Amino acid sequence: MAESIRHAGPGDPATSAAPHLRVRMSTSRMAWLASLSLLPAAAWGIVLFGLPALIVLVVSIASAAAAEAAATLPRGKVTLGDGSAFFTGLLVALLMPAGVPAYVPAAASAFGILVVKQSFGGLGRNWMNPAMGGVVFALLSWPGLLSQWAAPLGSAAANAAVPPLEALRAALAAPGPRDATPLAVLARAGYGFSGLDSAAVGWVNSHVLAPLGTRLQPGTLDVLIGHVAGGIGSTCAPLLLAGAAFLLTFGVIRWHLPVFYIGTFGLLAFVFGGLGTGQGWLAGGPLFQVLSGSLVLAAFYAAPDPVTSPLMNTGKCILGAALGVLTFFLRFFGSLGDGVAAAIVLGNCISPLLDRWMERRKVQELGQGVA
Amino acid sequence: MTDTTKLPKGGVNPPVELPGPRDPGIANAALPNRATIPLLQHAGRPAIRLVRPGDVVSEGMLVGKPDGPRSAAVHSSVPGVVAEIREITLATGERCEALEIDLGGSFETSGRPRAPRPWENLPRADLLERIRSAGVVGLGGEGVPTHLKLSPPPAGSCSLLAANGLDCEPSLGADDALLREKPAEIIEGLRICQLLLLPARTVIAVSERSADLVQELQRLVQRAGMNTSVVALPARYPQGHEQLVVAALEGRPPSSDPSSVALNVATLLAVYEAVVLEKPLIERVLTVTGSTVAHPRNLKVRLGTRVGDLLDECGGDLAGTGKVVMGGPMRGVSVATLDLPVTKRTLGIVTFSTVEARTPQETACIRCGACIEVCPWGLQPTRLFKLIRMGEEAKAGREGLARCTECGCCSYACPSRIPLSAILGEGRRRIVGVRNGGGSHG
Repeated sequence: MAESIRHAGPGDPATSAAPHLRVRMSTSRMAWLASLSLLPAAAWGIVLFGLPALIVLVVSIASAAAAEAAATLPRGKVTLGDGSAFFTGLLVALLMPAGVPAYVPAAASAFGILVVKQSFGGLGRNWMNPAMGGVVFALLSWPGLLSQWAAPLGSAAANAAVPPLEALRAALAAPGPRDATPLAVLARAGYGFSGLDSAAVGWVNSHVLAPLGTRLQPGTLDVLIGHVAGGIGSTCAPLLLAGAAFLLTFGVIRWHLPVFYIGTFGLLAFVFGGLGTGQGWLAGGPLFQVLSGSLVLAAFYAAPDPVTSPLMNTGKCILGAALGVLTFFLRFFGSLGDGVAAAIVLGNCISPLLDRWMERRKVQELGQGVA
Repeated sequence: MTDTTKLPKGGVNPPVELPGPRDPGIANAALPNRATIPLLQHAGRPAIRLVRPGDVVSEGMLVGKPDGPRSAAVHSSVPGVVAEIREITLATGERCEALEIDLGGSFETSGRPRAPRPWENLPRADLLERIRSAGVVGLGGEGVPTHLKLSPPPAGSCSLLAANGLDCEPSLGADDALLREKPAEIIEGLRICQLLLLPARTVIAVSERSADLVQELQRLVQRAGMNTSVVALPARYPQGHEQLVVAALEGRPPSSDPSSVALNVATLLAVYEAVVLEKPLIERVLTVTGSTVAHPRNLKVRLGTRVGDLLDECGGDLAGTGKVVMGGPMRGVSVATLDLPVTKRTLGIVTFSTVEARTPQETACIRCGACIEVCPWGLQPTRLFKLIRMGEEAKAGREGLARCTECGCCSYACPSRIPLSAILGEGRRRIVGVRNGGGSHG
């Protein structure tokens, strides 16, 4: 046996610092797994909205990648391989309406990468989530374009291009009787749910639920599976939740922030959501509010971004609850879309404060014995 | 009484997949033709050499006497002739003299059963002297002379004495094997320590993976008439660390409290052999494993045996080996030469393939908090490493840097492959001003 150990590779010393084992998960693996888990939702968006959705996806990702390459090439280390730019481009596209002019997603992704992320020093140094920063930038720059949505496949009605959330807001702004649930309000307003929905809901009502003396509202299926107008990949909660379950299983994200976010928002929407519209207490339709807009997508894919969320689990829980409160106020009393992107950008601002607080607490826990 | 106590916080569970059949027993390693006996195999100063080249030494003969309180006696592990004295650099980076002893002559102790000597009526000073003169040190890697841990100041009362049967690191199995093969001897060693410390409470801690041992140990303890409980602790690394064993047993955060003593079971066996058999410490049990080792196993090894000889004995594939580590995979030191000898502080030998040995590419911290979650000492490695890299060690010190034991959990868990543990260790040495040597597993 030879007396010295062969070097593992060029530049690799045979000796290295302990530990000699490393966890399999890596930064780039996290980004690529997150992107992978969003592909079903993206595919669903392409099915619903067709070629325009595909164009938005391609343009947004290409713009993010180009911006990342342009920003990192001068530094001699192009970081496209870490998957972070791809993920930002994908997330921006999934929040956009299909058919929006290509320069909007292109600008949003480029803004997210160049201004929000790279100008602060690149991955890990940005204080705001790049995708959410890009979307808010687009919302402020082209509010009109970002409220022109496309009708999903199989919904021919004229008002099917209006997302349920906006249709609800419009219906409740008009005078008239107040129905108890959001779907009932939409039904009275004549919202155009799909033929598939009326067929399926009608069948379930007459064959299953009629003997039980109850029935489903029209639109239940459409809202549940995201067969409605909205962001390309933000409407289909089942596919998004399946992707989130995948990420939770592999330890890419933690449950704390999303659960506190959705839980707090749902609770506030349930208790107070009906007050402003004259429906009274405990009449906010929490399930409808959670499933509509981009809340589920953002809660699992933007809010838990490790770079811009608190370091410790307690901090993550607190920020999640804060995001729920912010989203509630922005959605029910604000004007910036469904309130989610703006809430997350605001939440990013308080994240460092939470970290500072948690940090001090942890050092104090160590006690006086610290040398 | 059996119960499972929780690790206070943190820790990691690396998947440890060892190739080939894993024999839980202990095999005897071949005797070295030439033993390399360093005079520094313990925490303090090197021992003072008592022999010269050409001297004939017998098995177990004293060849180095302690130099100072934390130093320990060194004995020849084989009979033979001192061929030369040379300066060597140990795996820890420390330099010392080493005796090269060519094997020869007759074995006076091996293979001959020794009659147990009565010890129950000996004065405490005599018991301690037997342990001291046998060169017994903590075999969990720290190498602190064991008689120091067994002679607390007269005023101090001992609240807890724990026999630590948890292996220090993942993939090491020597302590577990010793508990299976030598339970009666280990328990007698524990009785000796009980007599010396008069602890309020005595506990034997085993890994939850070896929960099958609990009943047998309880039976033995009862037969010996001892008031001692057996407890299974989580197998999660680094639960085997002395302070974490004590913390888990006492249900409090870890601290360096001298009134609670944990001794590794290998150390207890050495205490037994020193006191009852009057046998010096000239061999130890260690684990040889790794992805390029054909037959991973626990070996009883004469101190001074070369690492390379042990790898040969276990069928090491050197062509495919990229890294050889003395110690365990989490805290061990990767060595550049296979000529280094096994010392009292060598817990194991672990090899890594050329692919496994590639240095991982460090990327930017994404502030995921994984390092904070796994730190068993409640530190914030992500913050401390940034402070250290900015040259703010003093501030890092105020945030607990001195408590870092370089267990490696933070580096293990970091998805950005930042060598947190190494950076924290270096920063800590700069503020504390001491060299860190080995582990602290009693």
